[in-house]
Amino acid sequence: MKKYSWLVLIFIATLILPHVIGEFWIHVAIEILIFGLFAVSFNMLFGYMGQLSFGHAAYFGVGAYATGLLMLKTSVPLPVCLVFSMVAAGATALIFGYFCVRLTGIYFAILTMAFGQLIYYIIFQWYSFTGGDNGLQGIVPPEWLYNVKNYYYFTIFIVTAALIVMWFISESPFGYTMRAIRDNTERTRFIGINVRKYMLINFVVAGMFAGLAGGLLGPFTRSIAPDLCNWQQSGVPVFMTVIGGPLGFFGPMIGSVIYTFLFAFVTGFTEYWPLTIGLVIIFVVLYMPGGILGLVNEKMDSIKFKEQTGDLNNGLEKEA
Amino acid sequence: MDPSMIFAQFLSGLSRGMMLFLIASGLSLIFGVMNILNFAHAALWLVGAYFCYTFWYLMQGTALGLWFSIVLAALALAVVGWIIEVVLIRRVYNRELSEQLLLTYALVLIIDDLIKIVWGVEDKLIERPPVVADPVFIFGAPLDSYFVFVIIVGFGVAIGLWWFLKKTRYGHIVRASVFSREMVSALGIPIPRIYTGVFAMGIFIAGLAGAIQAPVGSITLGMDMAVIIQAFCVVVIGGLGSLLGTFVASLVVGEVYAFSILFWPEGALVLIFIVTALVLIIRPWGLFGTPVRT
Amino acid sequence: MAILKVEHLKKHFGGLQATNDINFEMKSGELSAIIGPNGAGKSTFFNLLTGYHKADSGRVFFKGKDITNWAPHKIVRLGIARAFQVSNIYPAITTYENVRQAILTKQKRTLNLFFSAERMAKEETTEFLEITGLSSFSNTIAGKLSQGDKKRLELAIALGCEPELLFLDEPTAGMSGEETLETMELVKRLNQKLGLTILFTEHDMPVVFGYAEHLTVLHLGSIIAQGRPEEVRKNETVQKIYLGEEA
Repeated sequence: MKKYSWLVLIFIATLILPHVIGEFWIHVAIEILIFGLFAVSFNMLFGYMGQLSFGHAAYFGVGAYATGLLMLKTSVPLPVCLVFSMVAAGATALIFGYFCVRLTGIYFAILTMAFGQLIYYIIFQWYSFTGGDNGLQGIVPPEWLYNVKNYYYFTIFIVTAALIVMWFISESPFGYTMRAIRDNTERTRFIGINVRKYMLINFVVAGMFAGLAGGLLGPFTRSIAPDLCNWQQSGVPVFMTVIGGPLGFFGPMIGSVIYTFLFAFVTGFTEYWPLTIGLVIIFVVLYMPGGILGLVNEKMDSIKFKEQTGDLNNGLEKEA
Repeated sequence: MDPSMIFAQFLSGLSRGMMLFLIASGLSLIFGVMNILNFAHAALWLVGAYFCYTFWYLMQGTALGLWFSIVLAALALAVVGWIIEVVLIRRVYNRELSEQLLLTYALVLIIDDLIKIVWGVEDKLIERPPVVADPVFIFGAPLDSYFVFVIIVGFGVAIGLWWFLKKTRYGHIVRASVFSREMVSALGIPIPRIYTGVFAMGIFIAGLAGAIQAPVGSITLGMDMAVIIQAFCVVVIGGLGSLLGTFVASLVVGEVYAFSILFWPEGALVLIFIVTALVLIIRPWGLFGTPVRT
Repeated sequence: MAILKVEHLKKHFGGLQATNDINFEMKSGELSAIIGPNGAGKSTFFNLLTGYHKADSGRVFFKGKDITNWAPHKIVRLGIARAFQVSNIYPAITTYENVRQAILTKQKRTLNLFFSAERMAKEETTEFLEITGLSSFSNTIAGKLSQGDKKRLELAIALGCEPELLFLDEPTAGMSGEETLETMELVKRLNQKLGLTILFTEHDMPVVFGYAEHLTVLHLGSIIAQGRPEEVRKNETVQKIYLGEEA
């Protein structure tokens, strides 16, 4: 119960936030939420299933374009557009995932990257439909979300709902089976699981939530470009997850907070963001492989250890 | 469509393929021996191009200076590769795939920004040496004479690597370490030193490739981004770790590129991705790689 | 009724004929052993029967159904489970979670995406942990168990699949004398009380002769002797092959 009370506090804090911070930071907060959702969906494949996808941005981008195109060319309301984004991203994930889950390790990483680039080039070339490298401009949210504070609450609502669903999935037998696949794929086959089928389902679900995140992005930034699908963009959720910690549900979200803040801060006074984040990542990989969560867990373990040995010592003294 | 035009495209594809081979061979070598996919390979290739420019510039921009610069740039990159291996790569030998990939990916970001800092954002241009200024004509088809040089170097590197791996003692040790790190260590040969040497060699070739690329067109920021993906495709199609595979795949990709320019210019890369995806789906270890259980 | 029937099974690896025209049968409820020197092909045999390798030729029938070259997960679902020679457990999760995973799979609940697994299969999991004597290690991370306990967990996981036919690959390897006795008594109980058909391989001869009703001897991929343990023991060829081992 203690763990949940932390979450409730944080949730209440996020609700109060727009009233205490300026508009710029509300923008940053929305970005944190959207990319955090993107990163958490990525972690379904990485932290839970144990595979590194370097093409997750494909589904993010498909979701962004689905909502963007619908909002520009039709009068479908935004929430329905988001559903379409999830469906479109999920369908794409189904097609690509069918092939990707036949591989693991480096081959999985490269194939997901190749498919990501494929989507990027398709969107880039299909000028008549997607606007090519001009992207889509002028995606305007509906009136009731025009105010950035309102869009913030809308995003909180959607992202929280999505996180709750993903949380339930991670605690369900399916979620545990994913962890089993990561921990010992062979054993999982030999207790009766069709590993490929399960990996594909997971791949599609992860893609759908990435698509949802992408759908939220368009009306927020008012314009989207094919860059949203390329392999550099695919690196963003990877970075966030690694910084926050892949082995905990909220790790990627924590990573998003750190990454986005860092980005907003660093780009304020220098253009050398890639250099900065590159150094950060190397530092995290070499010295903090479990991310922030890993570090916190270590500290908690050593506190627990001290408590236990403290009791032991007390007990020994009493005996003596 | 007349035959000489087709032949011209063929030659263009050949030289493009050779350029790709020069980049991909180092990548394949490093992966084959160390099992590390060096994301930063193209970034280092680009550094090689910039080094070549700087050396050429320092030698007062003479034609002779260019040939020296190419060699110097490759050697400089070998040193850079050596340093990177000892300081960074060594620490992730036994780590998970994701950590290795992230490390080399982070290197890309760092190197690209360092290039910006050191050399600035304007394109760099190297003047063509007069000996390669005019095209040569082969069976009536024009070929940029510089590309003759590229093709020669490409074959040279291929033969050199083959000779090194098959005929020298050091090459035998390298191949043995691919089969069994433990055995090689048990024989008293330190694996880290072998890996450092292999990595430095791979980066030397990348530097050479970059330096040779330098006089072609201009040197621009971001060139490495387009190239790294093509290099990955080549290495996958040919077979991760197979030198012959890399050679064949480079030429195939080069020709696919050259000929798709005729029918579907925008689709060249799409085509290459589709082929790459197909290879990964049907035969993930590539055309010439050794079959593994995926 | 023959629960397992193997006909003319062959498998080669490169130049090595690992399984050489094996014909084999097991009746429902049998407790039998396969023995043979190292390299005889015992593990390969198990691998062929459980879908780990594809056979070159031959057929495998389970309860009359042709399962030759079926995928491993399909074979398990049909009712065959396996405990591996080198413990193939889930090292990162607890002993409890290890066993629960097998049970949830058997109960076909693994496609459930929305309900908490925490509350599921508590009784069944605790029961299997008790049967295999692992209750006190319930919350230990499986990777930290001793070798002998890992072997027991291996057995518990296989049991969690609720099989009709169970393959045990060296079930007492790495165990102390006491643990060996406990494990084999458990195996006997499972066979007698639950009617589990069990085939095990072992190098520990007292275990083999103490528990197997039926014995098959493999050598270089072929069966060289079959029958009741006392008969096989007297077989000259078998004695020759084992002379080195027994000494």
